[in-house]
Amino acid sequence: MAEPFIEALLYPPIQRAAIACVLCGASCSLLSVFVVLMKMPLIGVSMSHAAFAGAVLGLLLDFNPFVSGLILCLLTAGVLGPLSDRTDIAPENVLGILFSFLMGLAFLGMGILTRTKAGALNLMWGSLLSLSKSDLVILFVITVILVLFIFFFFKEIRSVLFNRRLAAASGVPERMIYYALLFLTGAVVSSNLATVGGLLIFALLVQPGATALQLTYNLKHFFLISAASGIGACVSGLVVSYLLDLPSGASVVLMATTIFAAAYLLSPKRRYAKSKERKLFHEIDKK
Amino acid sequence: MIELSDITVRKSKGLLLDGISLSVPPNDFVGIIGPNGAGKTTLLNVIAGFERFEGSLSLFGRSETWSRSRETRLRIGYVPQLFQIDPAFPILALEAVMAGAIGRVGLFHTPGKEHREKAMRLMDMMRVAHLAERPLGQLSGGERQKVSLARAILQSPEILLMDEPTAGLDIAVQKEVLNLVDEIHKMQGMTILFVTHDFNLIPSAMRRAVLLDHGKKLLDGDINTALSGDALSRLFQYPLVCFERNGRRFVSYG
Repeated sequence: MAEPFIEALLYPPIQRAAIACVLCGASCSLLSVFVVLMKMPLIGVSMSHAAFAGAVLGLLLDFNPFVSGLILCLLTAGVLGPLSDRTDIAPENVLGILFSFLMGLAFLGMGILTRTKAGALNLMWGSLLSLSKSDLVILFVITVILVLFIFFFFKEIRSVLFNRRLAAASGVPERMIYYALLFLTGAVVSSNLATVGGLLIFALLVQPGATALQLTYNLKHFFLISAASGIGACVSGLVVSYLLDLPSGASVVLMATTIFAAAYLLSPKRRYAKSKERKLFHEIDKK
Repeated sequence: MIELSDITVRKSKGLLLDGISLSVPPNDFVGIIGPNGAGKTTLLNVIAGFERFEGSLSLFGRSETWSRSRETRLRIGYVPQLFQIDPAFPILALEAVMAGAIGRVGLFHTPGKEHREKAMRLMDMMRVAHLAERPLGQLSGGERQKVSLARAILQSPEILLMDEPTAGLDIAVQKEVLNLVDEIHKMQGMTILFVTHDFNLIPSAMRRAVLLDHGKKLLDGDINTALSGDALSRLFQYPLVCFERNGRRFVSYG
């Protein structure tokens, strides 16, 4: 059954799509560790709408949509950090306000876009088969930067993920790490607009991390499981979409959800918690 | 060691601290006592570098703004109130203690064997060494606070700021934590600022107390003067009496 897909891999657009799937799966799922552990799922939607709004503005102004998307993402990251640090507004509310503002901006751009909206819609759903070499190079460079950041600052990242205030009190440059994570989120989301699109990327920024959360207490394993499930979802989603002639973005998201559901059902952490609960009830009954 | 002069903290909801001045010499053990909303945590946050303020603050003989250098942060340990942690969060108790050494070793270096051994010794001192490999989120509140104490001490600070470390714990665990705080002060000789609103939970090494009310300093003096029926009744605007039993002072309703 996989033969037609292997044959298709001989064609450059399919090769590019397969490589992009691996890079997209790796970059989004590594970021999902931060999104899940810092309990900031809205950061994914805010950034994806920033990238989308920026790209639509780029189309309106005849400017490279990736660059305009990246600029608006980085601006959002630049506003989000200080706004949540220096005002009385909770970070979740800051994200909610930014998210709705950026969504409004994106739809405003769509509304006044006079020419065909196909280019803008591609940014919403992604278009794996029409990726250019430069799209791939940008995605590769950003993924490598993200991997190096995690590798070199692993202990500081663990400290910040656990508790930002305690990290700061221990002399860790927590603001630098936190802001770098925000900027990297912006860069990863904007570089993936062309692959899975601004809407579906949210799933890849949450589900791989949520999958890893079911399976391990070790942060290194957490990153690896998250990356494996993200890459697995992207690659299997691409194969399924090719074989069954389904939309690729939707297939990727459904595969990610299936992997999460399997991890949840088989979760050793959940089983341990349940057995502990049963033991406690048993002891109470005995008394 | 700590010099605060006319410190004021303003927020949209009003004045949190109103012209507080305070001087704390090395090795002093000071209690910051007051009702809810008195500004105790804000005062600790100003010293820790988590809060913007007006006025002047000097730490270790150097004038400081709200933002702290890494070197200054390393010299100040911080133990917060017990906070919730997701039981599934991927961090073990030993890793949480080792977090205290991360700032000290600096970027691009990893804590070595000596840090690990010291962390284990501290966990042993806190009677949580047997929990080292357990996920932090699965420990009880008291065990997590002991881990938090070990983390702060691993940092080898000269000043230790403690924000109601016994709040939300069982009565027996509260006593155990207080004894550990006394032990830390005796063995490590740190300057300690201990925030509490429960005057029956005062470590016996505490010799001085600052009473705060609505962001203002009401009294700064000897613990026996501070823990008197008059002072506390004025602070809480409720008749309270103090009595001594087994060499310790207790407070009850009048």
